[in-house]
Amino acid sequence: MQLYNIAFNNFRQRKAKMLFVLSGLVIGIAAIVSVYSVVEAMQTEMARQATEFGANVIITADAGELAFSYGGFTLPEVMFDVEKLTNDDVAAIEGVPLRSMIRAVAPKLLGVVGTSVGRVIVMGGNLQEEFRTKPWLRLRIVHEEPGDPEESPGGTDGAEVQDGMDDKYIDYEKLDLAREDVSKLVLADDEVLIGKTIAVVLNVAEGDHLTLGGREFRVFAVLEENGSAEDNQILMNLPVAQSLLDRTNEVTVIDLTVDYSLGSEEALLGQLGQALPNARIVSLRQEALRRDQLLTRLIRFGTAVSILILFVGTLVVALTMSGAMRERTREVGIFRAIGFRKSHITKIVLLEGLFVSIPGGIIGYLFGMLAAIYGGPFLTGTALYVPWRFDLLVSAVIIAIVVALVASIYTARQASRLDPMEALCFF
Amino acid sequence: MAEVMIAMQDLKKTYKSMGEEVHALRGVSLNIFKGESVAVMGHSGSGKSTLLSIIGGLNHPTFGTIEIDGIDLYKLSQEKRADFRREYLGFVFQQFQLIPYLTALENVMLPLTTTSFTGREKREMAANVLCRVGLNGEMKRLPNQLSGGEQERVAIARAIVNEPPVVLADEPTGNLDTRTGIEIMELFEKLNSDGLTILMVTHNPNNTQYMRRIVLMKDGLLNNDDADILQLAACSKR
Repeated sequence: MQLYNIAFNNFRQRKAKMLFVLSGLVIGIAAIVSVYSVVEAMQTEMARQATEFGANVIITADAGELAFSYGGFTLPEVMFDVEKLTNDDVAAIEGVPLRSMIRAVAPKLLGVVGTSVGRVIVMGGNLQEEFRTKPWLRLRIVHEEPGDPEESPGGTDGAEVQDGMDDKYIDYEKLDLAREDVSKLVLADDEVLIGKTIAVVLNVAEGDHLTLGGREFRVFAVLEENGSAEDNQILMNLPVAQSLLDRTNEVTVIDLTVDYSLGSEEALLGQLGQALPNARIVSLRQEALRRDQLLTRLIRFGTAVSILILFVGTLVVALTMSGAMRERTREVGIFRAIGFRKSHITKIVLLEGLFVSIPGGIIGYLFGMLAAIYGGPFLTGTALYVPWRFDLLVSAVIIAIVVALVASIYTARQASRLDPMEALCFF
Repeated sequence: MAEVMIAMQDLKKTYKSMGEEVHALRGVSLNIFKGESVAVMGHSGSGKSTLLSIIGGLNHPTFGTIEIDGIDLYKLSQEKRADFRREYLGFVFQQFQLIPYLTALENVMLPLTTTSFTGREKREMAANVLCRVGLNGEMKRLPNQLSGGEQERVAIARAIVNEPPVVLADEPTGNLDTRTGIEIMELFEKLNSDGLTILMVTHNPNNTQYMRRIVLMKDGLLNNDDADILQLAACSKR
């Protein structure tokens, strides 16, 4: 017979009260676990989206004060005689030790060429990488000679955009080239993609031909209007643009998509700076910071809600235990009369808190995880991946223990201070 | 000459009740000897329960001293007094006062909970004492599964399991039928014959025949003359 036997047997006898105390703990712990899991899953998802889509590092030639703007970022004016980026710089990026952090490298050359109706902006680049860094770009593939879809190796979407005219067929389904379909975007040297606005100006459509700088090109596809700079550009392969603009080996800007979750941003930028000493490297930190601030607010809100719920849970536990102890006043008197010290009474009450806290933490974790897994995506409107985590279970149990002990302290003090004479009321 | 186990000197106890002072004890001096069994009798409000609570170390007297086995009880700190109760005193309460969620065996083991005995030793000691009070097969039953007499036996077993020199009993037969009451008093008599000092508060004159001495209380004072008479009467009944 030990003190814990008394505490344990008491709970066994008072099942309803134990369940009430347990429910208070479970609700508090479940709230914390669910909010934490959802916020963390959102954080992961946002980080994934932030790194998967869009360029977050821009590399340009170091042009000093001479610059013009491209897509909101300052670029060196190509007309001036300044340091220029080259294909060698693109190759140098491949050699940085933290290359694995870089998901996409999109070098491009920008220039102006003449057409029958005036001058247009030409952008030459690695178009697959370009579409990876700009997921908002969409296009519609059109083919002159429809083929038999059953014979097409194009997969479920039916789109097959491999080089070779005979293999192409009409498909009006939109291709999401930022994702799995990006590998299908292979342009021949005489093919271009054309922005919607400039296509209207030049009055060309898919399959039409147009002359740029004295060379004839076929319109592979027209980009859907998206409000970006690409609406007014003609896109082609980088070597073709370099040849057309007579700027062999030259690159205007290199966009990088970096996954910051894989390593240190500072370290990567440092390595890029060393690899490209004549380049200006700009990390879109502000965007990252904005996302961070949004998440921070979300986390603060979630934490505040969790603390509030946990506080209410603690109160429920404290009040229930205190109420239960009042019913046990006589019992405390008996304990004291037969020689229990105040510390023994305190230990019994704290042990009772401990006993209920462990299952409370485990059950709270389970409910919290289920709420996060099934309720999180519904509440946030986003598909979230919420993993089962042992460290979170341990944390939940520790929090439950702390809460239960804190909630028990008042009751323990109350019980230990009972005058045995008054508690017994038998004399 | 017998050794004094409990020595009370001019004990006074005054309560405040409804704004008025109530003198529960007005100066009680009494010696109880080792191995003695004493019945304290008196009407309600005579102060006998107050006297028992003071002897039990649960109720600080307003004035006077009480020594048990030479130890001045109220010079001890509260916690030391708790230790003292565990080692020196066994309590048998009026309404058994068993812990409802503990079995008979566990209830008996309660005073041993905070001792250094091993779990096995505690179980053996409790089981032996239960056998001694006549309970063999009911050890695993909860109090509400026991009869009044059985509960009283469990309460007595709990009071003596740690082998205290003194047992204080408050109306131990108050909730029992006559036959069971006699069995319990015979048990007390046996325990006393084994050397235990017993102080019992009782209303029941029949119980006095099992006690060696009777003390009568009236208005917070000992009524020695009556006590002598009752003692003689009790002796003559045996």
